[in-house]
Amino acid sequence: MADLNKLYQAILTGDQKTAVAVTEEALAEKIDPQVLINQAMIPAMNEAGAKFECEEYFVPELLLAARAMKASLALLRPLLAERGAEPVGRVVIGTVKGDLHDIGKNLVASMLEGGGFEVHDLGADVPAEKFVAAVREKNPHLVCMSALLTVTMPAMRTTIQALKEAGVRDQVKVMVGGAPVTPDYAREIGADGYADNASSAVKKARELLAA
Amino acid sequence: MAAPELIRVRLEPLGRLLEVERGAPLRDLLFAYGVEFPCGGHGRCRKCRVRLLEGRLPLTADEEKILSAEEIAAGWRLACRARAVEEITLEIGQWELAILADDSAIAFTPRSGYGVAVDVGTTTLVAQLLDLATGHVLGVRSALNPQTVFGADVMSRVQAALSPEGLERLSSLIRDAIGGLIAELAASVQVEIGEVVLVGNTVMHHLFCAIDPEPLSHYPFRPSEEGLKNYRAHELGWELPGDPLVQFLPCLGGFVGSDILAGILATGLEEAEALCGLLDLGTNGEIVFGNRDGILCASTAAGPAFEGGRISMGMRAATGAIVEASLRNGSLEFHVLGGGRPRGICGSGLVDVVAAGLELGRIAPSGRFTDASRAWPLLDPVVLLQRDVRELQLAKGAVAAGVRLLLGSLAPAKPERIWLAGAFGNYVDRASARRIGLIEAPLERISPAGNTALLGAKIALLRTTAGERDFSALRRKVRHVPLADHPDFEEIYVESMLFPPA
Repeated sequence: MADLNKLYQAILTGDQKTAVAVTEEALAEKIDPQVLINQAMIPAMNEAGAKFECEEYFVPELLLAARAMKASLALLRPLLAERGAEPVGRVVIGTVKGDLHDIGKNLVASMLEGGGFEVHDLGADVPAEKFVAAVREKNPHLVCMSALLTVTMPAMRTTIQALKEAGVRDQVKVMVGGAPVTPDYAREIGADGYADNASSAVKKARELLAA
Repeated sequence: MAAPELIRVRLEPLGRLLEVERGAPLRDLLFAYGVEFPCGGHGRCRKCRVRLLEGRLPLTADEEKILSAEEIAAGWRLACRARAVEEITLEIGQWELAILADDSAIAFTPRSGYGVAVDVGTTTLVAQLLDLATGHVLGVRSALNPQTVFGADVMSRVQAALSPEGLERLSSLIRDAIGGLIAELAASVQVEIGEVVLVGNTVMHHLFCAIDPEPLSHYPFRPSEEGLKNYRAHELGWELPGDPLVQFLPCLGGFVGSDILAGILATGLEEAEALCGLLDLGTNGEIVFGNRDGILCASTAAGPAFEGGRISMGMRAATGAIVEASLRNGSLEFHVLGGGRPRGICGSGLVDVVAAGLELGRIAPSGRFTDASRAWPLLDPVVLLQRDVRELQLAKGAVAAGVRLLLGSLAPAKPERIWLAGAFGNYVDRASARRIGLIEAPLERISPAGNTALLGAKIALLRTTAGERDFSALRRKVRHVPLADHPDFEEIYVESMLFPPA
């Protein structure tokens, strides 16, 4: 029988091959995908995030764990879609206009995905209009923005402004992050939340959606 | 703690009087004055020789080994080894000889007149006055870039320039500071300066020339203007006899400016047959690879770790900094600048310590401390934290990824020589840089090259006429590669954050 602990370990250590193999095995045995997600994938990504926060893991390990998780999740997706399973929440995420820094944002996106969220990643250098269009189209609960440069940070404010002008600001929560961003800055530009790193972003996202 | 005792050092032929702390290494003092240390200040190349004219300069074992008895008797010492312990007068050997403190003499056509070469650094400004007939250095002035009050890195300067009237303020600050240095030089030797050549990165270029740096603040980070800028001194508010021509040399693309153009000139990369590289490692790491057939350049956001920034006990290479660390019989030995109690660790010390940590198995190739601690006590009170190693991984990863990407598009991708420019490049131990995977070339192919920006500015001044300084032929050979646009950048960057296994 497929070993859920083996899947957990494979994701935690970024062993994509094993993660995929165990997932395939589990699916062949008709194990409920939701069980795989809840009992192996989410706990593994939580643990990877905790290791990142206590500095045991760094970007490479977290990224490898995220990749293993994604590869495994990709196998489950069709089944989840088939039965119309609802995600924990829907998220639109992107690095703001003018900024090309992608890695931190990608980690947040992966951690959210690993936390059971449906994530729509708009990529980097995303103009405000594109965030607005995605909100209209995807109907997310949460909009996440990242900026890595002090000079591109103001684009977060512009984007929130654009969401307001489009009349969609109130239907979403907005969370921001990135090296130069501070909780005070988040408050000042009218964001609902701020996260310091990829792991705390998941906690904050859950908090915001529960509020 | 008692205030450090100051002693005076006189530099000839400049007639410049400096005050330094007793016991200070001459290396740190003279580097700021544009003296080059071609071997990286390791007492190997003899090129930094100084002659003691007055006073006493204790001889070190290294000097006894590398200098002849006659030389020692004549007062010759190595600036990279010696420390000032009492008042002395020194003659700088390099400035008496030809322009380059290098065996390959630079050919130039002597002409009458005087010129000034200026390295407009983000942190430091250095101006050298040259006799264009002989190539001799007649005077040197250096100062802190007054824009530093707006932040240490180029991005903080761009941001400051974007505020209302910011550009005017930053521009007049830098113009006034450089104008002051040149006026002092002109007054000190009573000569009329005919031309001034300035080099600097793209942000310094824009801010000096009062060009809007807004396009440099966001993707795709393209300069507003790249070309050669010509001024008459009075247009910059400089009152100099003869109203000399002032030229800021052209940029190469993105953040890669004329400091790197100068670096290419200084290392002879554009004439080399074999593939060569030039790395200038600061907050922005600049990377050049090429030869006479073509040259690629790129800049990569390394962050401030190489300069001791964002490191818990990080500092610049100043008194009290751990600048070197080496393993002896399994334990670490440290070199603290100025002797005394350590206050922190600078970039070169950090690279040494992490390299040693990897050797000792104290740091895993993933960057993690192998014991459960999050701190490694070095030399009381200096401690290395786990997150300091992470900062170094980001910086090192950015540079190594840039190198890999540029070399990946060249064939054959084995450079015969990699030159290290700038202060960090001069101080960093090559073996340690290699151990942490910052540079992945055989040791004997890595060479420190000193202040190549200043050197290249001097070469431009001596070898070319004002009309040739747009360097159009050279610039046509150079292609700027925007690294972040590369589809594999993230993959390679993340991979490059890891340290090579033992």
